[in-house]
Amino acid sequence: MNTWQFLISAWTWNPGVLAAGAAALAGYVAAFRDRRRIGWLLAALGVFFFVLLSPLNALADGYLFSAHMAQHILLLLVAPALALLSLPRDFSLPKFLRPLANPCVGWASGVGAMWFWHAPALCNAAVASKPVYAVQTVSLLALGTMFWWQTLAPREAQRISPLAGVLYLFTACTACSVLGIILTFSPVTVCASYLHPTDRLGLLGLIREDWGMNLERDQQIGGLLMWVPMCLLYLSAIFAQFARWYGATPAPVQPVLKEKIS
Amino acid sequence: MNGDTITLAPGVGAGARILSDAKREHYRLAWLSTVDHKRIGILYMLTALVFFVIGGIEAIFIRIQLAVPNNTFLHPDTYNQIFTMHGTTMIFLVAMPVLFGFVNYILPLQIGARDMAFPRLNAFSFWLVPLGGILLHFSVLSGGGAPAVGWFAYAPLSETPYSSQNNVDYWALALFVLGIGSVGTAINIIATVVSLRAPGMTMRRLPLFTWINFINAFIVVAALPVLNAGLVMLLIDRRLDAHFFLPLAGNGGGSPVLWQHIFWAFGHPEVYILALPAFGMLSEIIPVFSRKPIFGYEFVAASSVAIALLSFGVWAHHMFTVGMGRTADLFFAISSMLIAIPTGVKVLNWTATMIGGRLRLQTPMLFCIAALIQFTCAGLTGISHAMPALDWQTKNSYFLVAHFHFVAVGMIVFVILAGVQYWFPKMSGRMLSERLGKWSFWLMVIGFNMTFVIQHFLGYAGMPRRVYTYPDLPGWTWMNLVSSFGAVFMTAASLVLVYNIVLSLFRGKPAGDNPWNAWTLEWATTSPPPTENFHELPPICSRRPLWDVANPDRPDEVVGAVDEPIRLPDKNKTSILVFIFSEIGFFGVLILAYLYFNARPQPGPGPQELNLFKTAIFSVCLFASSLTIWRAEVSERRSQKGAMAAWLAATVVLGGIFIGGQGMEYYDLFRSGVNVSTNLFATTFFTLTGFHGLHVCMGLIALLIMLGLTLAGDFQRHHSTALTAVGYYWHFVDAVWVAVLTVVYILPHLR
Repeated sequence: MNTWQFLISAWTWNPGVLAAGAAALAGYVAAFRDRRRIGWLLAALGVFFFVLLSPLNALADGYLFSAHMAQHILLLLVAPALALLSLPRDFSLPKFLRPLANPCVGWASGVGAMWFWHAPALCNAAVASKPVYAVQTVSLLALGTMFWWQTLAPREAQRISPLAGVLYLFTACTACSVLGIILTFSPVTVCASYLHPTDRLGLLGLIREDWGMNLERDQQIGGLLMWVPMCLLYLSAIFAQFARWYGATPAPVQPVLKEKIS
Repeated sequence: MNGDTITLAPGVGAGARILSDAKREHYRLAWLSTVDHKRIGILYMLTALVFFVIGGIEAIFIRIQLAVPNNTFLHPDTYNQIFTMHGTTMIFLVAMPVLFGFVNYILPLQIGARDMAFPRLNAFSFWLVPLGGILLHFSVLSGGGAPAVGWFAYAPLSETPYSSQNNVDYWALALFVLGIGSVGTAINIIATVVSLRAPGMTMRRLPLFTWINFINAFIVVAALPVLNAGLVMLLIDRRLDAHFFLPLAGNGGGSPVLWQHIFWAFGHPEVYILALPAFGMLSEIIPVFSRKPIFGYEFVAASSVAIALLSFGVWAHHMFTVGMGRTADLFFAISSMLIAIPTGVKVLNWTATMIGGRLRLQTPMLFCIAALIQFTCAGLTGISHAMPALDWQTKNSYFLVAHFHFVAVGMIVFVILAGVQYWFPKMSGRMLSERLGKWSFWLMVIGFNMTFVIQHFLGYAGMPRRVYTYPDLPGWTWMNLVSSFGAVFMTAASLVLVYNIVLSLFRGKPAGDNPWNAWTLEWATTSPPPTENFHELPPICSRRPLWDVANPDRPDEVVGAVDEPIRLPDKNKTSILVFIFSEIGFFGVLILAYLYFNARPQPGPGPQELNLFKTAIFSVCLFASSLTIWRAEVSERRSQKGAMAAWLAATVVLGGIFIGGQGMEYYDLFRSGVNVSTNLFATTFFTLTGFHGLHVCMGLIALLIMLGLTLAGDFQRHHSTALTAVGYYWHFVDAVWVAVLTVVYILPHLR
């Protein structure tokens, strides 16, 4: 198998995933009359399907730790952010969910999700067992939503102040970078399941020979993905906070100032 | 609020009345005991000037030695010592102190504050600079001469087998002391900006110099503890026979590459720690001398944060030649190139500020323009080093020397000189001579470019750096000679500058309050400002309050609302949170080192020697003490003196039990022959738990002070946030223990 054949053939049509996506779309259409922001939801679903149906999923399924990490980042940081942006601007949380909309909870869920699922035992379990994998996927989406709610909630009043948001994202970035650094420079394999892949799709030759991906390099890429591109995502979000902060200028009240000075 | 000016709250300007005239006269002499931010700022600058002379003489020696091939002016060993001392001195004892000096002097004035948030901490931080400088130079008398390991002190060269004299110990101690001082200053800066702004000075109206130094303080707080952790490990290696960074024959040795990671995880942010204050000065001076507000304030402000964040993610580009593998090289090449974006944005902003402005080409502006051009060159050569393939070729050559001197001298020093010209009138009340200033400017431009432009070509011609001499190869000789001649011009420029300063102090033209028609608050008070800084402040509605006062018919657009209230969080809580942030960096490195060395079982003793059960018992005591201190805070709020003292005493006892338990554990380990130098498990274990124990002891001291104050009735007279601050610290110490307990005691059982 060469790379092209792989990229074409490795798509799967997981009915569970498709059903979940369709349900989300139907739910959105049913719940909201104002559907101007549906484009964001479609983007979120696109990411969701890409993560779980594309060749990326095939690679993450026992072959490559780095592919698993890419999935992780997309599910935790990209899809939930896009989904939150799709909410109508007058949306408010149902009462029973409000306790979750707390900055400490949000920060802990975003950072905790990364650290928790990379404990060696859990990382292996998620690769080895389908139900654990499903739980992981759902939990990443949920925890990512809780994380982003603090800065991307539909209404200004629901968000933390922009400078607090900068600190929130800055510290989250640092905390994830530390894990990325550990993975990159760790002398041992973090996720042992990838040590001896069962070659169900006959890909091992392609990956090891053609792509030159050995175990060490694979883990290094995984760690670096978490360290560098993830930090850039946080950095973009930090810029959004600055845009929000400096952009929130009410109309200038010139005459009052003149009066004050003169 | 409709009057001419905003009257300050009572108490803010009270400094003038507290002291009698005789006492003020006394304190005018007492520079040594001063806690006034302006005097401390000047002390910083004078100290930096002293060390600048020393570091400059070292530079001259280097250039004399390299002026001709096969020179024997300096012994090779002496040369190594001199270039080590030159680098260390210029970075830690010149650039950082002078920049902190400017911040100390200017920043409180710019936000309309009376002083820094913690004046005595400020004085303490300053006095650590001369202490560190003396420690560093004392090594010369220690028998083995000055340290000769480069300013980066790469292991294993810096380890005992290769540097057996104790000069490297002095080097490490000096940097450790200086690092503590820098963190202290940074905490002070953050607390000042957060808690001491004048009415109307909202965070969005901060002058850029203040804003950028505020951001910079976070880099200092995050980066310096990383270096300090590395220095501690180096000292443990050297004094206690451990081997963090020393590879041993066979199994179980340490990792010299780890030192490089730690050093550059500090070292790269350090570049920005020096560059950002300079960016701040450029952002003040260029608009004033272009008679135009800065172009894109928001972009300059936000890109500083981007630089701060990116600076921590790219240190490995200093290590392309180490052999980290192609993957890591690729990622770091990309992220390093990204840094060019926010810095490029800034250069664009400064340039665009000048376009269409009515430029006044006085000395400060000339220095700024030269700095901008030279910094652009430095940026271009910098990007070329982000390419691993090119970096392998040029990293150890004079091309790199030229690159970082273009940043450090071509940009940072030039901007510092601009700052001296710009703010000297405020500090002394007298103008520097414009004629002498121009002389020093042109001498500096010629000298600097003569010295360092040619070094790019020397590097491409293959001349390696850190060599004490070179053979007479074609091209090398004349280029080195030109470079050395440039140093003569730079020396002349420095002498003219010092002459200018001394002359102007006595004969300079009186400056008046605002000689440059600038717009920020430091120019709203007399030159030099009175002890209490301001008697009254103009209204602050925009980023240029003095412009609004001078041009009432065309004021700047109001930023935010006109009477926007400002929120000033408590300075005690702010500072302790920032301090905790810096401590996380310190413990983070120690924990990462533990994980790194214990990922595979070490030969010899390992975690199995530890008794989880006993540890669990005294850990519970420590965790319980978090509850008792919380109860003490509650009692304080309810003004129950007795209960508060009791809860505090309980906290001290519980903390004491923990320390006792840890002492017993250590005793058991020592008895079974495990000590800090046994193997890397023991080394990392004792380092991590030992430093945690040290922090618990510091917390106990703070608690005992609190207890004493409580018994003396201090908290009854006035409620204070001091106990809350101590409480935060104590909770943090507990949280660290949660991490240590997990990593050291519990994790091995999960394998």
